[in-house]
Amino acid sequence: MTARRRWIAAALVLVGAACGDIATPIRIDFYEWRLIVPAASGTGNDSLTFHWPKDRLPVRIWVEDAASLPANVPPAIAAWRRAFLYDEFDATIVSDSASADVIVRAGGAPGVQFSRVRLHSALASECAGATDLDISDDHTQLRLPVRMYIDPRSDPNAPGLPECLALTTTHELGHALGIWRHSGVATDLMFADPAVAGPSERDLATAEVIYHLTPNVEPVGP
Amino acid sequence: MPKAILLLALCLPASATGVHAQLEYHARLGAVGASRLLRDVIVDEITVRQSIAPMIALGATLPVGARGYRVGLEGTLASGKFHSSESGSDTDLGTLRIATLQLGLEGPIYREFRWRVGAGGIRYWPADKEGIFREGGTTRFLAGAGVDYRRPVLAKWDLMTSLGYDFHRFSTDELEARNFSQTQGVSRISLSVGLSRSAR
Repeated sequence: MTARRRWIAAALVLVGAACGDIATPIRIDFYEWRLIVPAASGTGNDSLTFHWPKDRLPVRIWVEDAASLPANVPPAIAAWRRAFLYDEFDATIVSDSASADVIVRAGGAPGVQFSRVRLHSALASECAGATDLDISDDHTQLRLPVRMYIDPRSDPNAPGLPECLALTTTHELGHALGIWRHSGVATDLMFADPAVAGPSERDLATAEVIYHLTPNVEPVGP
Repeated sequence: MPKAILLLALCLPASATGVHAQLEYHARLGAVGASRLLRDVIVDEITVRQSIAPMIALGATLPVGARGYRVGLEGTLASGKFHSSESGSDTDLGTLRIATLQLGLEGPIYREFRWRVGAGGIRYWPADKEGIFREGGTTRFLAGAGVDYRRPVLAKWDLMTSLGYDFHRFSTDELEARNFSQTQGVSRISLSVGLSRSAR
């Protein structure tokens, strides 16, 4: 091989090294997140999928100053942001509840109003949670705000209450960001009665996938 | 590798005291553009790219041999935006600062034109530890080549125009933690203009 050919070969090797793509992971370990409701037409079922659109980010969250909510909501936001590589979701705490996309209150959820969907969670003895979604009759709009309730059902000094409040807050925020169904696996935070402290890999993978699919429910208001 | 380059960077000025008259140094301003940092597929294809960024380059060279070859060290710093694209929609991912340090060899081509090749490291510093940089920046091996044009403008100073190409393999700790395997080939092209203090 002549020196010229050696140089050309070396150059081709370098060009080849410069051109290869990274190998992407296969994302298959996620669960059903869609809310299945009776179809608006009256026959069959409708599967509703939602995520916050880019032009509504960061999602504005108003937090009641009770039940450790001001301390628990920011870590909950950070925990879910771990799911995303490309800034798909963000949220911020706001002081004006009138302009909030999500309202987080302490205490039990009030009676369900007509047209509201309630996602119950964390039915532990220490605390419970619920998220109310006000979905239009034609199933195309989510009327804001989404309302989250974190209920410290036990004595404020009860052992396990702080952990229960923290994980329930993160769980309910998972509903608010678009996971509208419970996981069937107990090691997921989005299990109906969660016991883990933070989102599992399956929870994060599910949230990530949701934000790359076209939703059929869009937020309106406030 | 970055430590070795840093050591060379520290030693070069010290060793150059005896050959100060032969030392040439330069400073240039320009712009650098890069191929995509990442290609991902979640539902549709997602690409991450850097915007064309302003760049500053500083370097120094010393002669080796009698045929016009010189060895040198050059550092560059660029700062610009990077963004993801999916289905025709772009998302701003923030600011990315990129520094390189290369040990190089250069030689004559024809008249005022000179070639150069080099190897070293490239460091990515994200402004925010988020997304693909959640675990922080990354340092990668870098190789490059280029052509310089120098035109004397003053007794000791040349106007220097430089066209450079370099490449490296990109990944981050966050991408590796998320089971991205192998690395992304990233090519960069820079064009810069500045002044070089000649040893003539």
